[in-house]
Amino acid sequence: MSTILKIFVFPAALLIMCLGVLIILGGHITPGGGFQGGAMIAGAFIFCAIVYGLKENPFKFSHNFLASMESFGALGFLILGLSGLLFSGFFLYNLGVDLNQIIPSFIQNFFNYPDPTNAGIIPYLNIVVGIKVLVGLSAVVITFLEFK
Amino acid sequence: MVYVGPILFGFILGFILGSRIKSNAESKVRFPISTYLVVLLVALFMAWQLGPFPYYVDSVIASGFLATIIGLLTGKTVWGIKNHGI
Repeated sequence: MSTILKIFVFPAALLIMCLGVLIILGGHITPGGGFQGGAMIAGAFIFCAIVYGLKENPFKFSHNFLASMESFGALGFLILGLSGLLFSGFFLYNLGVDLNQIIPSFIQNFFNYPDPTNAGIIPYLNIVVGIKVLVGLSAVVITFLEFK
Repeated sequence: MVYVGPILFGFILGFILGSRIKSNAESKVRFPISTYLVVLLVALFMAWQLGPFPYYVDSVIASGFLATIIGLLTGKTVWGIKNHGI
């Protein structure tokens, strides 16, 4: 790739990643969410991987990193779902909002995302889905680039 | 009143991503500290232009965006340079 691209892409990727995180964090209020934000972050990584190649890529997504983040995303979703099942009897019950008024208030406060919209566990689900998607899409591209 | 959610989780996600930035000693293209300073300034301008989320009245800028870039740079500073150095 040309030198101009190599100079431009890494700083641009940093900003695109920040925008992806913003899309994840605003998933419960604005258009977007975990999948879209995760895909944007993965897109920034893929941008770097294509321009610099896997060896010179400033973002080193190692196998262990990908595996641990994928596990964290999947387990986070499962734990949030099972917490709802444990405390209310419904899988993925929104413990932070508690529409049915069936759980103690300290559990509701613990699971409520600290922002003015009172969204409960939805932002947490967006975050874990975003992590899973960014790892999944990045892993696909890394695999393709390794097998030339 | 400051809303902790986007600031905290933006910083954490940024820190995780920033910790994966490793400078390659063999590469011809280097990114000195000035690059990150320019990125920080551009991010500040972008955060101001993006504005806060709907119903957020704590600041006039996108606090999650700014927290993410600060997390990215912190992660790069703390863990990102241990293999090859800047």
